[in-house]
Amino acid sequence: MTSAADPSGTISIDTFVEGFHEKLTRQAVLSFASCVHCGLCTDSCHYYLATGDPAMAPAHKVDQVRKLFKAEVDWLGRLAPWWVGGRSVTSESQLRELQDVVFGSCTACRRCTFSCPFGVDTGLLIRLARGLLTAQGIAPAGVLAVSKDQWETGNQMAISQQDYLETLEWLQDELRGETGDPEASIPIDKPNADVVFVVNPREIKYAPLSLLAAAKIFHAAGENWTMPSVGWDNTNFGLFSGDDALGAHMGKLAYDQVIRLGGRKMVVSECGHGFRATKWEAPNWAGMDLPFPIESFLETMVEYVNTGRIALDPSRNPKPVTYHDPCNLARSGGITEEPRFLLKHACLDFREMTPNRQENFCCSGGGGAMSMSEYTQRRLKVARVKADQITATGATAVATACHNCVDGLTDLIKHYKLKVPVRNVCEYVGDALVVERPHVAGLDMMPASVRGRTVLVVDDDPDTVVYLTALLEDHGLRTVRARNGSEGLQAARQERPDAITLDIAMPGRSGIDVFTRLRSNRELASIPVIIVTGAIEFRELVYHRNVPPPDGYVEKPVRPELLLMSVRKVLELRHRAAAPPAGDGR
Amino acid sequence: MPIDVSPFTSMLMDQAQLVALAFMAVVYALKVRWLLRFRAPVERTPARGNEARGVRYAMATIAMPWELPSTRVHWLRWVEFAVFHVGIAAAIGLTFVMPYWPHLAGARPVVLAFQLVFGAATLAALSRLWRRVARPELRLITSPDDVFSLALLAAWLVAGILAAPQRSEPSLVMFFGLTAFFLVYVPFSKISHYVYWPFIRYYVGRHLGHRGAYPTKTVPRHA
Repeated sequence: MTSAADPSGTISIDTFVEGFHEKLTRQAVLSFASCVHCGLCTDSCHYYLATGDPAMAPAHKVDQVRKLFKAEVDWLGRLAPWWVGGRSVTSESQLRELQDVVFGSCTACRRCTFSCPFGVDTGLLIRLARGLLTAQGIAPAGVLAVSKDQWETGNQMAISQQDYLETLEWLQDELRGETGDPEASIPIDKPNADVVFVVNPREIKYAPLSLLAAAKIFHAAGENWTMPSVGWDNTNFGLFSGDDALGAHMGKLAYDQVIRLGGRKMVVSECGHGFRATKWEAPNWAGMDLPFPIESFLETMVEYVNTGRIALDPSRNPKPVTYHDPCNLARSGGITEEPRFLLKHACLDFREMTPNRQENFCCSGGGGAMSMSEYTQRRLKVARVKADQITATGATAVATACHNCVDGLTDLIKHYKLKVPVRNVCEYVGDALVVERPHVAGLDMMPASVRGRTVLVVDDDPDTVVYLTALLEDHGLRTVRARNGSEGLQAARQERPDAITLDIAMPGRSGIDVFTRLRSNRELASIPVIIVTGAIEFRELVYHRNVPPPDGYVEKPVRPELLLMSVRKVLELRHRAAAPPAGDGR
Repeated sequence: MPIDVSPFTSMLMDQAQLVALAFMAVVYALKVRWLLRFRAPVERTPARGNEARGVRYAMATIAMPWELPSTRVHWLRWVEFAVFHVGIAAAIGLTFVMPYWPHLAGARPVVLAFQLVFGAATLAALSRLWRRVARPELRLITSPDDVFSLALLAAWLVAGILAAPQRSEPSLVMFFGLTAFFLVYVPFSKISHYVYWPFIRYYVGRHLGHRGAYPTKTVPRHA
């Protein structure tokens, strides 16, 4: 493993400045040198629009990096830095201040670049500074933790290969139940497939519905597809941290699988930064000329519709739906029309968001912001711009094509009480699929193998406890109730449940504390925990990694089919892990 | 009609300008050489869009204020930009006309036209200066070079108004003195942004055109 971060943990100002000189490309120099401080970028930024804070204007934010260019590189600035606004870096505190700007005040969404008469690439300059800071170990804890996991495990959620394969096996059973086709499969490492599908680890860990929808679509299209057993993570924290070496490493992991398997093309699931990093950036970082094409799953689905390989019935999605353009797809990836095509074919009432396409505003969770809990409150404050955009459409549901955006939008919808669900485009397409075979088994069915298992429900809201326990008991599970964190811990010790549903925001001992204690207790650590919460602090558990992350996550208000699916998933995987191994021929 | 000027003024209008211009050309040549020494990252991915179309679009947006969200909303700022830069271009033109073909700018309507353009450009410069003082987000990013460059350009344009009739030697000295100073100062200041403009627009257009993000496909439904 190699990392750009200094292993000694010491901060070197000289190294930082030397690194700055080394990282200067022609485009970066032009973006540094061209800005005339006209301020036309100011109101293109959602941070500025939501706060009115002049320090949030893109030109000011990038000036915090440009100062170094002016002092170190600019001809006049080297003689008289004060005259051109130059200032070199001389102390660690300056680097800490810079971290707040480049990680905490900019999602590198590049909206300002499209507003700038010069095209100053703020995202490029912000990423350059992030890379230099990350190399010094100065970055949000979540970014460093996730980057480390990508280096060490090959995926951003540190999912073991066994967990990954078991989840796919479980999903394959779900697919067979959904399609009624006992031959339906999620092939692993199938040689010479036409499509090698790489996904966001969130789809394995927390959002299997989008992966299930993708599998349904591949199945309906009769696609010759496969997923690799390793190198399956399309996300890339190298893009967020500015660490080109990590970016190259993650890209290469995935590319090597397509080459190894003899795949015809790589298809990237709906992940904005994953698509950008995998298709556009990582081949350059890795110095690879790829022998296969890469496309977004959106493009694949459009091709299926256009060639008649799948048929869609829009009446299956009757509610008004709007679309949020992920920055990395629209501005940095050129994909704007494909999701609209799909939604217009899969939904009865598609409503355009204003502004849209390349001018759409960031969800506020981009650029790795979801993993930076240090800046959560600021993120939610500036998300007002997106909340207003969604409200203005009058839509009752939001579609997007990025898991990061799903999380960002979910948080802001909760914060601004908008009450509109967010799903990926493929989920709408999956619902609208016209398939010959009837739906046989619902997602909410509980198989005999897990009936009678015990689930501990921990929540301070009596109504929620009654609702969750009734739902679980109606599906053949035994439940134990706890009204607060302390009771929950006690019940976990006494009852040794097969799974726990845990609220986060509870008076007294918080869910985060309970979860940390459960994970730290050798006897209780293996009990699967599903977080059921409306609290945004959940993201801390996912990204900060003081202990292994939760096994599931369900938003409040609870969608019963999601809760049941999550509970069934953890119980079935636990059951399989306990059962003697049996090969399935894959 | 143009007046006869002293040998000093004549030298300032002619030889001094040529020396300053040559200095500027040398510095710019060095600057472009310096710029091209920074590596241009190699693009290894196959294009999804059209790079040439992206470059053409990137270059053309300067004349299409409706294409950029910023100038679409702040269209007066674009008008101000146009007036300001047309004024500067006219003033540059006049510095070549007056020493070598003074009769071309001798007719009263021509003089008035120059004065009108310079006057409008001066107002644009003052408006820009005022905005730098009045708007907090601009005040925060404004450097001494930003203010100095704008103030000197405004002074130069005023000098152009006074010098355009070619009847006052002091005004000619002021105009050409400032011109010579600018020719020496500009390559080191923010005013040299116009040298970078074609380069950055080329790279932005190629980069976004390659990915199919340029030309933009935005369908605006707002003011």
